[in-house]
Amino acid sequence: MVIQVCIGSSCHLKGSRSVILKLQELIQKHQLEDKISLSGSFCMGQCQKGVCLKLDEEIFSLSPDTTVEFFENEVLGRLG
Amino acid sequence: MLQGNIDIGTIKNEVLYEVAKLAFQGELEEKKDQLPFEMIPGPQANFRCCIYKEREIIRQRILLAQGKSPSSKKDDKNIVQVISSACEECPITRFVVTDNCQKCMGKRCQNACNFKAITMSRDRAYIDPSKCKECGKCAQACPYNAIADLMRPCKRSCPVDAISMDENGIVIIDEDKCISCGNCIRNCPFGAISDRSFLVDVINLLRSDIPVYAMVAPAVEGQFGAQVSTGILAEGIKELGFDGMFEVALGADFVAASESEEWYEAYQEGKKMTTSCCPAFVNMIRKHFPELTKNISTTISPMQATAKVVKALHPDAITVFIGPCIAKKSEVLDHITEGGTDYALTFDELNAMFRAKEIELSSFGQNMQQGSIFGKNFAVAGGVTASVLQALKEKGIQADIHVKGCNGAAECKKALMLLKAGKLPEDFLEGMSCEGGCVNGPGAVLSGRQAQLNRANVLKSVDDRAIYDTVHSYEDCNITMHRK
Repeated sequence: MVIQVCIGSSCHLKGSRSVILKLQELIQKHQLEDKISLSGSFCMGQCQKGVCLKLDEEIFSLSPDTTVEFFENEVLGRLG
Repeated sequence: MLQGNIDIGTIKNEVLYEVAKLAFQGELEEKKDQLPFEMIPGPQANFRCCIYKEREIIRQRILLAQGKSPSSKKDDKNIVQVISSACEECPITRFVVTDNCQKCMGKRCQNACNFKAITMSRDRAYIDPSKCKECGKCAQACPYNAIADLMRPCKRSCPVDAISMDENGIVIIDEDKCISCGNCIRNCPFGAISDRSFLVDVINLLRSDIPVYAMVAPAVEGQFGAQVSTGILAEGIKELGFDGMFEVALGADFVAASESEEWYEAYQEGKKMTTSCCPAFVNMIRKHFPELTKNISTTISPMQATAKVVKALHPDAITVFIGPCIAKKSEVLDHITEGGTDYALTFDELNAMFRAKEIELSSFGQNMQQGSIFGKNFAVAGGVTASVLQALKEKGIQADIHVKGCNGAAECKKALMLLKAGKLPEDFLEGMSCEGGCVNGPGAVLSGRQAQLNRANVLKSVDDRAIYDTVHSYEDCNITMHRK
């Protein structure tokens, strides 16, 4: 599974680095390092929805506060 | 405005300049759609068939300058992107018989062809494109060199065969294969391939109140003139709004020290190892020789080491690498979880920022040096090896280590094939994707002889500090030098 987090300036100011850190912690906690690749991405062109995150070609709108919820519903949900 | 006899470099630089100017003024969103019309006012076309095509090329380049994909059809994550409107759809019939053909009696071309693709027309040989398998035997066989190999320049330049064409002859880059080396960008005669940029992102952050630090690559000396030392550059960079500048040569000293320990250990175990500082070389291993991934040194790159030093000194800082390299942008994206470098720019993008803010680099003067001459020489092919050997010497370690220096992507590929087959005689492999090293990188402002002369002049004033002098002076930063 590939997760890309937008690191454009707008998403950066809305906390993309915290989102990345949180996701990384969650991935480690669930020992999913081999199953998930987490990387940065250029601006996804949807700055008003930032922090933008792309999972399986679908764009999600996150904030540092909703990261855990996203991880549990979308990431763990999809991994089954 | 673009006028007269202009080349690809000018178009790229002018777009970066205009975009940087609007971004610094905070007017990019409002005025970017108008920019192609201002740059190409018409009615006369300057460099392509008509002003409409020219404006479309400018429009696509503006998207790239904002880090976006120039094509609306797909939005992949590749750094290197095709500017479809600029692609000339070069002829794809690879082997073509030229006027040099004497229609000789030997007919070696015909005999050399295993696919019966060659017949004799009225005054020369003819290759039937539907039968030709592009093996090239006919061209080799012709005693008059009459058969031209018209492989598209982009495709020819790609060391990893990542380039193909769509049904209309427009170039497609396979992102699973592309290593972001930038060879195709440099070699397309129509400027139809270019790289995405973090330029606008960095300018937006410079305009915010978050501290932003620049980290200039060891290739920097000589890029901005024979008199521009890193001290002068640092003042110019602060004028742009950065809070300060660091030399990546400083991180390179850390890398030389770390790799010397790593190499020595591997040498004693008889394990072969490769360098890890050139991101295009590392991409080549990961994507094309995955079984050799375990042989890559686990030492982080000089860019990441420098970023860790900067973040140890300034915990809230945003770190921006600035160098001659396009593949560094992919390193930033792929290693975002390491907490090191946040953005990467090229020297030509930095130059566009200087022009946009009307900063003259000659008007400042101060001395600054953070890395040793060995760290600075990471930018030249063979420099990494020399620095690692120097670090061993400084530690008083005697080892008869043999290193294969790979100068350019083709040599890298060849040596990796030998390593994969277990036939590489040397102990270590220094991989440099650009011929001559980073100093000839695709994002450089200046390359070739003038850049060399400038560099030699600037480096004259560098002192003789040792690699471990640098490492010891930043000891308090306590940085981890290995990838997780």
